[in-house]
Amino acid sequence: MKPKLAQWKELLAARHKKENDEEKEEEKPDGRPVTDVPYADVWREYGAKPYWFAGDYCLIRETVYPLDYQHGRYRLGALYEVHERWQEAPFSHPLSCRGFAVRDLFFFDTETMGLSSGAGNIMFLLGHARILGDFVTIRQHLLPYPGAEVALYQSFLSDVDYTTLVTYNGKAFDWPRLKTRHALVRNMVPKLPAFGHFDLYHAARRLWKDKLDSLRLSEVERHILHVERGDDVPGFLAPMMYKEFLQTPHPDRLMPVLRHNERDVLSLIALYIHLSVQLLEADRLADPKEQLAAARWFEAVGETAAARGVYEEASGKGAKEAQAAKWQLSLLYRKEKRYEEAALLWRDLLIHGNGYWKAKAGLELAKVYEHYFRDAAEAHRYAVMAYEAWRSLARMSRQHSEKEEAEWRRRLARLERKKNG
Amino acid sequence: MRKQTLSEWIEQLRQDPNVVYWHEIEPKEANFVPFPDELDPRLGAALKARGIASLYTHQAAAYDAVQSGRNIVAVTPTASGKTLCYNLPVLDAIAKEPSSRALYIFPTKALAQDQRNELNEIIAEMGVSIYSHTYDGDTAPALRQKIRQAGHIVITNPDMLHTAILPHHTKWISLFEQLRYVVIDELHTYRGVFGSHVANVIRRLKRICAFYGSRPTFICTSATIANPKELAERLIGEPVTLIDNNGAPRGRKYFVFYNPPVVERTMNIRQSATKTAVELARQLLVNRIPTIVFARSRVRVELILSHLQAVVNERIGDTTIRGYRGGYLPNERRAIEKGLRSGEIIGVVSTNALELGVDIGQLQACILTGYPGTIASTWQQAGRAGRRQGDSLVVMIASASPLDQYIISHPEYFFARSPEAARINPDNLLILVDHIKCAAYELPFRRGETFGGVEVEEVLDFLAEQGVLNERAGRWHWMSDAFPAHDISLRSAAQENVVIIDISDTARHRVIGEMDRFSAMTLLHDEAIYLHEGAQYQVEKLDWEEKKAYVRQVDVEYFTDANLAVRLDVLSEDRSETRGQMAVRYGDVSVRAMATIFKKLKLSTFENIGSGPIRLPEETLHTSAAWIEWEAVPSRFSPALFEQLLVGIANVLGHLVPVFVMCDRSDLHVVPQLKAPHSGRPTIFLYDRYPGGVGLSEAVFERYEEIMKHVKEWVERCPCADGCPSCIGISSADGPSLKRELVQFLDEQLAVWAGPSV
Repeated sequence: MKPKLAQWKELLAARHKKENDEEKEEEKPDGRPVTDVPYADVWREYGAKPYWFAGDYCLIRETVYPLDYQHGRYRLGALYEVHERWQEAPFSHPLSCRGFAVRDLFFFDTETMGLSSGAGNIMFLLGHARILGDFVTIRQHLLPYPGAEVALYQSFLSDVDYTTLVTYNGKAFDWPRLKTRHALVRNMVPKLPAFGHFDLYHAARRLWKDKLDSLRLSEVERHILHVERGDDVPGFLAPMMYKEFLQTPHPDRLMPVLRHNERDVLSLIALYIHLSVQLLEADRLADPKEQLAAARWFEAVGETAAARGVYEEASGKGAKEAQAAKWQLSLLYRKEKRYEEAALLWRDLLIHGNGYWKAKAGLELAKVYEHYFRDAAEAHRYAVMAYEAWRSLARMSRQHSEKEEAEWRRRLARLERKKNG
Repeated sequence: MRKQTLSEWIEQLRQDPNVVYWHEIEPKEANFVPFPDELDPRLGAALKARGIASLYTHQAAAYDAVQSGRNIVAVTPTASGKTLCYNLPVLDAIAKEPSSRALYIFPTKALAQDQRNELNEIIAEMGVSIYSHTYDGDTAPALRQKIRQAGHIVITNPDMLHTAILPHHTKWISLFEQLRYVVIDELHTYRGVFGSHVANVIRRLKRICAFYGSRPTFICTSATIANPKELAERLIGEPVTLIDNNGAPRGRKYFVFYNPPVVERTMNIRQSATKTAVELARQLLVNRIPTIVFARSRVRVELILSHLQAVVNERIGDTTIRGYRGGYLPNERRAIEKGLRSGEIIGVVSTNALELGVDIGQLQACILTGYPGTIASTWQQAGRAGRRQGDSLVVMIASASPLDQYIISHPEYFFARSPEAARINPDNLLILVDHIKCAAYELPFRRGETFGGVEVEEVLDFLAEQGVLNERAGRWHWMSDAFPAHDISLRSAAQENVVIIDISDTARHRVIGEMDRFSAMTLLHDEAIYLHEGAQYQVEKLDWEEKKAYVRQVDVEYFTDANLAVRLDVLSEDRSETRGQMAVRYGDVSVRAMATIFKKLKLSTFENIGSGPIRLPEETLHTSAAWIEWEAVPSRFSPALFEQLLVGIANVLGHLVPVFVMCDRSDLHVVPQLKAPHSGRPTIFLYDRYPGGVGLSEAVFERYEEIMKHVKEWVERCPCADGCPSCIGISSADGPSLKRELVQFLDEQLAVWAGPSV
């Protein structure tokens, strides 16, 4: 449960004597380190330069990629194309970059010591990519040792305006942790900008929740973006490697993490391109699941026209998603009071759908015939069919709700009365 | 039948031959002073609207002291308006300067809820925009952000402060930058392990305040203990002014000592306190006199509850008597508290959980089943009856334990003696290191920085070596992926509690309570009978790995009682005093405890009707201990006889020592050994139940002589023939009188002790 008290006492006492004498001599009177950057020449080779501020430094590493660099299935330069298409798209969308310039988009990812959200979780690497002219420029701000955070945030915040970050779960993870660490040095560095954000994790969840086992960026890369990582270190090893780096600050100890982060931000570009294409070409998507998810998303953000178009495409497919699409579409029609068109879809579902759709569509038909078409006999006929579908469904799943049963009976009795009366 | 009033019932009680002492506390007039001139007029008006036109003397003194920037601890009895001691300066400050912030710390969520309601009523009356809210595990996530940013008064508990507020201080900047007051209510509850932890949480709080440039004044309130000022000063690490000029009125209170009749003379066996409590409570409840019954353990509470429910049911209906104890889930407890306030519940059976200031309205009678263990606690529990004007009654029923019998036959000891002192040891190494980790997570340590005045550099170096911290240029930074506060519980040694799951309804398993690991070994083992809300459950399986106990409701005629086998090893000896053949020592020990077997005892007769093995792994505890050691068995005793003497002394020590060091019986364990494994010598060990110890056994070491004198006197005065459960335990029938031998032996030992040390 806990380390043994006696052992601790001995250990602590022994260390006390040993360490104290050594430390005392090393320390400068004002407590400020007067060190050079260790392995500065190696860092330079890797494209990293120190940034000095208030007696401390952080490292800034810059890497440049050409626009026709192929990352997985996309050229990085394709960002220009999707950006242009968003400007002309007939709908608005949370992922739309209409009104922004390409260079406004900061593809941003961080590395932290842990997952907790408290004050002590150190963020040691802030990486971002943007496309400037003919190049993709990746800039990584590295904390060379804890205690240099003033320099880190000064360098990170002084030259750019991060109002449009593109992240993967940054809204819930990176940004709150960044805010926390920034708060500790807030009086010594520029203010954090207000937070404006494309979070691609939420997009990925909407589109691939059922398709992928895990929505980790690495999984999305592999299955969606077709990015091969090769000898990349897994992200969860980063804290350990940083710890080792602190003991012996040779750049080689940390370069794998920097490269990992570099790949991450490149993947964010590719992912943004891919998601944009998915949405811009939603009516032409081959995968019915993705198509349905895209349509649902349009509907959720109030883009009914776009949603309808995609549902119509999806309902033409032979997959089981087609039935769901028809159902969603029928509800859209109902909302728009286009009952004839809605009824057409419901009849389709009643005839061709499985028990679940039969019960739902039959009920809608019963309602629409009772209240809108005012045809109690038809309404009753549909109600009976729907009720039977519901009953066999309940029998099969062994879930029988007394309340629903009573509702059905009430409806049937009322329609019976109306029919005869 | 006409119902009796409390006064009539009291007259009837006067005739009861088992009443051994009758004490009356005279009513007292109130002592008022006018509102201070500088008080915010809106606050004054709000108080007047609530019927408060002037202050009691202690409230005014508290206000004045706080105005002049002093930390205070206000010590006043129950229902003396102590909340105004802090609400007055806090509301006044916020009304005058709306950016001011205050943090209220209550030991439990229930108390926090209670205070929030009261506070918000005054605030509504003031017509000032002051936002006060509880921040605990039950707070809705949507509200949390608002509280963090805009809460003038944040009401919380130490655990929440420890795990949720301090580690996330960057989300609380507006609170910490402007924190003017920290209120610590029920200060006396912060003693022992819990208090030692909380003192460190306060150290962390002050460290964070300093980082944000604030320096709050501490306002504490406490029930009567011997050392409130000292405790407050140790807890907050600053000088504190004591406020104890109580100006509140009180009604007449009868305090009655009741000794159940002897039912078996040679063995000096009395009728059980539990049975007596049930009988007296029944008489009060059928007359609809609101009554609270306190019992010392969870099991007792449930036993009394089920008996009372059965007896009283037909007379006044079912739901009107409820149990209340720590194991209940929060919503269950809230419902009980509400029922008591509204009068729907007229009887409650409680552990000391209701000792704290949870507002449960007016109860007229209070029955204590056994001496609560400390004088302070007795007064707290007795305060539950008659909070306002009017007569009230407290009956304390003695159990057969030596402590109870000692108290009841020495009423002057009880009424004349000042209550016990509360001890904490914030510098307990294990506790300290735990909180240094948390503090380092919150803010890096600088070289030369102390933690509550303690030099911590060696601890920081140690943690750096462990890879938890990273040291550079005289600064220690947190450098681990862990969140330290999650692994550290303020309340008990065990870090994980065992969750109790009722599986009676196969389709609907539900969690009905939780229990610390050490207790679970003896109360939740396989086949144990666990009592909850008066119902019996049998433990079907205790999953030790997963910390889950699966129970199913049963209806049986017995309860279970488990044995704990203990092995002690001395790790180091820090202090020692030797006189002649004997020595008293103090140091570190390792205790290995293992639950071995359990007995099934019949409910009505306590007759043993079966037993079974318990298969649980050993639990290890490293702690501090005091031990009394003899070089060898004195030549005039046979080893067997001497062992009996040791067992007898240990028995009395176990009962009496808690009086001297203010702790619960279960906080300090006594183990006699004829051959201690480390020395082969006859030894009696007394060890702290908490890892690292919290100073209880050290107090025993320091007060050894005084304690032994009381042991001897107690055995001498016990009216039994030759040993009884109330003193040295039951002796074997043949051979010399154990009791006489023991008294003579202790006499010799005390004489030797008075001589020169070696």
